[in-house]
Amino acid sequence: MDLRSIKKDILRGIHDCSQRGLYHSVKWLSELNFSLSHVKLSHQFIPESEEFEDEQEEYLLAKSYFDIKEYDRCAYFVKSCTTPKPRFLYFYSQYLSIEKKKLDNMTDSNCPPDSSKNNSLKNLCEQLQHDFYQNKLDGYALYLYGVILKRLDLISSSIEAFVKALSFEPMLWCCWFELGKLVSDKNSLSLPDHWMKQFYIAHACLEQLRNDEALEICQSLCSQGFENSTYLMSQVALGHHNNRDLDKAINMFKKILELDPYRLDNLDTYSNLLYVQEMKTQLADLAHKVVSIDKYRVETCCVIGNYYSLRSDHAKAVLYFRRALKLNPQFLSAWTLMGHEFMEMKNINAAIQSYRHAIEINHRDYRAWYGLGQTYEILKMYFYSLYYYKQAQQLKPNDSRMIIALGETYEKLDKIENALKCYYKACSVGDVEGLALIRLAKLYDKLNESENAAAAFTEYCLREDDNKEKMYDDQTEFFNALQYLANYHLNKGQLDDAYTYAYKCLECNETKEQGKALLRVIAAKRGEQDNEVKMEDPTENTSPPEETNTSDMNFSLMILENQ
Amino acid sequence: MHETALYWADKVVALTENPRDIYWLAQCMYHLKQYHRAVHLMRSRNLEKTFILCNYLTVRCLLAANELNEALLVVNILDVELFMPQSSTISNCINGNLDPLIFDDKPKNQVYASIMFLKGKVLEGMDNRILAADCYKQALQYDVYCFEAFDSLTRYQMLTASEEEELLKSLPLTEQCSLEEAEILRCLYESKLKKYHAPAAVPPCPSKIVYADNRLLQSGHLVLNITPHCISKLTSTPNFISSTSISTPNQPVTEVESKKKLKSMDMESSDTIENPCLEKLKSSLDMIVAKAERLYYNCDFQQCSNLTEVILKQDPWHTGCLPIHISCQIELKESNKLFLLAHNLVDLYPNLAISWYAVGCYYYIIGKSDYARRYLAKATCLDRLFGPAWLAYGHSFAIENEHDQAMAAYFKASQLMKGCHLPLLYIGLECGLTNNIKLAEKFFQQAQNIAPDDPFILHEKGVINFQNLEYKNAERNFKEALEKIKKIHSGPIPQRWMSLLNNLGHTCRKLKKYEEALEYHHQALLLSPQNAAIYSAIGFVHSLIGNTEEAVEWFHKALGLERDDTFSSTMLNYVIEQLSEERPAYPGAPDEIPKYVPRERTRMTLTFSEMEESSVDKDISMSISARDSTKVEESQSNMSLSI
Repeated sequence: MDLRSIKKDILRGIHDCSQRGLYHSVKWLSELNFSLSHVKLSHQFIPESEEFEDEQEEYLLAKSYFDIKEYDRCAYFVKSCTTPKPRFLYFYSQYLSIEKKKLDNMTDSNCPPDSSKNNSLKNLCEQLQHDFYQNKLDGYALYLYGVILKRLDLISSSIEAFVKALSFEPMLWCCWFELGKLVSDKNSLSLPDHWMKQFYIAHACLEQLRNDEALEICQSLCSQGFENSTYLMSQVALGHHNNRDLDKAINMFKKILELDPYRLDNLDTYSNLLYVQEMKTQLADLAHKVVSIDKYRVETCCVIGNYYSLRSDHAKAVLYFRRALKLNPQFLSAWTLMGHEFMEMKNINAAIQSYRHAIEINHRDYRAWYGLGQTYEILKMYFYSLYYYKQAQQLKPNDSRMIIALGETYEKLDKIENALKCYYKACSVGDVEGLALIRLAKLYDKLNESENAAAAFTEYCLREDDNKEKMYDDQTEFFNALQYLANYHLNKGQLDDAYTYAYKCLECNETKEQGKALLRVIAAKRGEQDNEVKMEDPTENTSPPEETNTSDMNFSLMILENQ
Repeated sequence: MHETALYWADKVVALTENPRDIYWLAQCMYHLKQYHRAVHLMRSRNLEKTFILCNYLTVRCLLAANELNEALLVVNILDVELFMPQSSTISNCINGNLDPLIFDDKPKNQVYASIMFLKGKVLEGMDNRILAADCYKQALQYDVYCFEAFDSLTRYQMLTASEEEELLKSLPLTEQCSLEEAEILRCLYESKLKKYHAPAAVPPCPSKIVYADNRLLQSGHLVLNITPHCISKLTSTPNFISSTSISTPNQPVTEVESKKKLKSMDMESSDTIENPCLEKLKSSLDMIVAKAERLYYNCDFQQCSNLTEVILKQDPWHTGCLPIHISCQIELKESNKLFLLAHNLVDLYPNLAISWYAVGCYYYIIGKSDYARRYLAKATCLDRLFGPAWLAYGHSFAIENEHDQAMAAYFKASQLMKGCHLPLLYIGLECGLTNNIKLAEKFFQQAQNIAPDDPFILHEKGVINFQNLEYKNAERNFKEALEKIKKIHSGPIPQRWMSLLNNLGHTCRKLKKYEEALEYHHQALLLSPQNAAIYSAIGFVHSLIGNTEEAVEWFHKALGLERDDTFSSTMLNYVIEQLSEERPAYPGAPDEIPKYVPRERTRMTLTFSEMEESSVDKDISMSISARDSTKVEESQSNMSLSI
């Protein structure tokens, strides 16, 4: 990549975007430009900033109103302009005015603006549509058209508009950004081959939870001269966060905050990390810092909300998440986190609402899907919770929590085979919580797959045995498993193994008696076997005929005793 | 200064007793609204039987005094045919004694036209509309410039669209005026014709409106001015009824002009090159109103509203523009603007039906049907022929599901507006809603006879077919309507037609053309985003094709917008259960129950600490040896578990 031409592109982009009031893009480009401050351009390359155009009077007037947020006034004065720049300002100010009014009219942040009352937005969309069909829209207006379509839930058309916009204006970061949030698969779009595309792909991969790819691209961008970009660093941190590389992510955030202590972007993720790691003091420190920077930013509110949540002050946490949503009803993580808080407070309906909003905003928020599954499980609507867990599992195919939840739901729906498959998968992807194995074993048992069941039980017992030091209070599962194994081996005539497990049963009060009984049976059998060995040729290990249902241990025990 | 005129005219009459002077005196009385006095003045001298103009004035006075029977008697005294000269030149006029009967140098044909027009008025006042229409036509034959007669014919929807065209063709334009004028006149009159019976494109609007050269129009106007009339185009208000399975298209009829019209528009544009006058005329307010109307009937409400606002800025009480403006505000739900307009109108013109019509419409859109009815009724009292008020009156019942009363109002409207298909369409609609499908079909057929090209009728017929389970026919009708609409809209079609596309989707689904159905539903969604009904329709199609997962998604969306939609929630329940039946446990799950592959070590061993307690020596020693050999593997297997 040629950093000089990139820098030229960036300068041009900054100029164009600021002319149109697209301040977030300007900010992003300027940050990137700053990270390239080691690249120097000679004077003649710096693009001219002042040019004379038609309708400049109207434009300047409107722009000044736009800058002080008098949107309707701005729109009025560029109403009849035909050149693209004031025209864009006309549409954009109208859009912002509509959005602002929507926010102002929102009384309670628990019910975001009613989407059925989107008439003014629809009208604006119609105007744009009209120009769109006559090919009158330039890149910027196309971007705006896409944004509005997205707002109206017309996703495919909006992707189309964004792609078209990018073919005109590849420097429009906000457009890449929106597109990254919308696309669901990798390479279906024909996008211009521009260096910005790399940033887009990294962003899109992160959105689609393909974290390793994203990290790779970020890495390569860093090595190509963008190593100082705080944006890239935050992307890397997000990637680590998604990968559950919590420490790496935390370190990355620390580094960012050192470079740019007043940066609030993505700090809500940072607070999530601190929350998960239960780093109370750091979280408190972060909360104090962000409050002193800007009290009324969504990120700030989320950080504080997390802080209160960690202190188990759920009501207050909800209060702050609400405030975040009042500031920006489209702020995804606040919805999800608020859902979690409501779950803590056992307010199921509110939790469902929150999760649903989160999903409306971003279909790929697996935490919200998972939360929805939990709420419906509480409501005993297992079919629904199955569906939601499935969505979550699809997004995080290798996360055992999702798949175990899925398995549990199948169990509740009495679909043992499916449940078993889920637990099996959970074991194979790495069972973080250690729940899957024993359940798997039990289900094998239930389906009369005694071989498999025994294998699974054995493994379970071995693992538990190794973890003995940090064992939890409840060991009944463990001893039941031992008992099962003892019976199993006994039935197979493997007396030594049976003996080992039966012997272990003695450790626990509940299974002690049965253990003793088993030992007695084993001893008796041994006696028999010894006799047989003396009398006939030794046919060791021929399993006894009654290798049958061992699902009920007591039952099998009785059979044995009756012999 | 009519009083002064009256005084001196009286003195003149005392001096001369000349019928001409008496006529002037009577005219002064007429202007002072002393109708009976004027009538007496003339009748006592039998002037009405001998002098045409006196007769004319008498009738006008009687009409103004609302003595219709008397007026008819008087007007019948003169048989106009008698006076009609064989050659239309004025000098070569009839028997000598009639010559002085026309006092001023007024052209004869104008006078005859006025008399015929007045007769028409009287007849119309007596509810004899057919005869009245004949009189108006005759008046137009005498004088093609008699705009009022033309307006009376078109305004009150006396003629159907084809009859209107016929009338226009039969006008003796070439005989009465120059070629250039004839063109202009035709063009102007054409702009007045019905616009809603068939769709057509809108001619490009002049961007800036200049004050028109109204000279020609004024010369066309007759000198006689009867009571001021508010001009009322038929404005159709929507009625928002939605039925169960298929969202019934409620919308009012739109539209525009026939092919003939299109042709004439082309002609017009080519004319402009040769005819600068016509070009200028195009910017006359009346012509712009015509354009606004066409936009309105094309469902381009926003553009129409922009245009009418420009017009009303120039002429705040432009009577031709007001009805269309009001209708537009109704469509756009601009209750605030309508409120202000209604207030201003009522303050200034409390005697005009349009003022109260505006008030009624305001109450209609804010959902207070009771008040709406009260004021609409007042509007119809003031002007019994005011069609829009009758229709709106019907709508106010219709939105409250008062089908019978709504129908009564529409019937009244259909009697008043013989040439208009809208009332019939609405009656049909109400019939359909009350499950009277046979009757509904009949009414739609009648409506279609009047306006064969109206897509709204086709749409309604399609809906009825759908209800009758005749899906093939329904599809044909819907598609035909869609074609007609697409013809005039190059880009996206107006939002109004969302239900047509959606219904087409329903029909295709019934015909098992699922892909096509999805296509139409998605098109409908483009026109009306975030519509719960469309979402659930799409979900339904998906569930029929077997795309269960997508169906779940769409039903979720639908319920997100409308939480207590029973159809969607039942379907969602069903689909979600189905999903758990038929789909694998998770994406990529094996079909068979997987075998558990035990990791290396398969045996449990006793540890050393246990050994001490153990009483069976042999076992212990065995287990110790086993343990050593498996220790490494054990740690491995544990690692692999925890990853």
